[in-house]
Amino acid sequence: MTRERVSAEGGMETSYGFRQVGESEKQTLVNDVFHRVAKRYDIMNDVMSLGLHRAWKDAMIAALNPAKREDYRVLDVAGGTGDIAMRIVEASGRRAHATVLDINGSMLSVGAERARKAGLADHLDFVEANAEELPFEPNSFDAYTIAFGIRNVPHIDVALKEAHRVLKRGGRLMVLEFSAVDQPFLEKIYDTWSFNAIPRFGKMVTGDAEPYQYLVESIRKFPNQRDFATMIEKVGFSRVGFTNYTGGIAALHSAWKI
Amino acid sequence: MEERMRRVDPKLLELLVCPLSKGRLSYDAERNELISEKARLAYPIRDGIPIMLISEARKIEM
Repeated sequence: MTRERVSAEGGMETSYGFRQVGESEKQTLVNDVFHRVAKRYDIMNDVMSLGLHRAWKDAMIAALNPAKREDYRVLDVAGGTGDIAMRIVEASGRRAHATVLDINGSMLSVGAERARKAGLADHLDFVEANAEELPFEPNSFDAYTIAFGIRNVPHIDVALKEAHRVLKRGGRLMVLEFSAVDQPFLEKIYDTWSFNAIPRFGKMVTGDAEPYQYLVESIRKFPNQRDFATMIEKVGFSRVGFTNYTGGIAALHSAWKI
Repeated sequence: MEERMRRVDPKLLELLVCPLSKGRLSYDAERNELISEKARLAYPIRDGIPIMLISEARKIEM
């Protein structure tokens, strides 16, 4: 068991939170977490981040600035509940089309239902698939987004290669993820909050603390801003950059396929 | 359930390929499955959501 962040060389594929697991075990363990939290996932995001995830997502969509065109296509990966995809469609003036992809059927059911209720079903479709094996033709999308999802993918390098493959030339990668806090004072409060409060709230809201223990641990294992940028560069993306939000609690990485 | 909701959007079908072979898919309306001839797999569609997971696909004889 190690609490050290993994480097750009990899290691997330054998980390289930702080626990060392076999490479073949990770996906099953992560699947179980999301089946257990699916119905309360978005509410828990509010509780865990004190509502900040909304501001971070708004900033992500503003940075993406989706084109207000009917032929603008976005792939939102690990986006089961449709939260990011619906924001993108709205930001495009209900013109863009988003495909929501998730490995987890429970999360997609929540999203599909929500899209119908919001009257956005015509702008969204839902596909159950693995981020490491995307079921799309090369050069299919103008943007690939993933919010708080990439750290749960066992082979991050493989997922990034797949993102590069399905993006059109000139297409943009946008990754929002919890990251490394760069201010010692904030880090202390954040650690107390994460390791003491979050699993307890998780238990109160969903009746289950264990999935939230995984979520907070996996955040601490994920590569820091620079290492993750290196991983993105390694698979062939250009102009890789990142922006910290709230002192680095979250970071948005952006890159282009040229 | 309404027929409309069971079926997949035709525009999405154009983009989809087999996650294993990356080859084209054909749609079997009768069984409501997506067939990958190359990989000899049939991917189910549930509530209008294509399940493009190799672990969930049915092996088929050609």
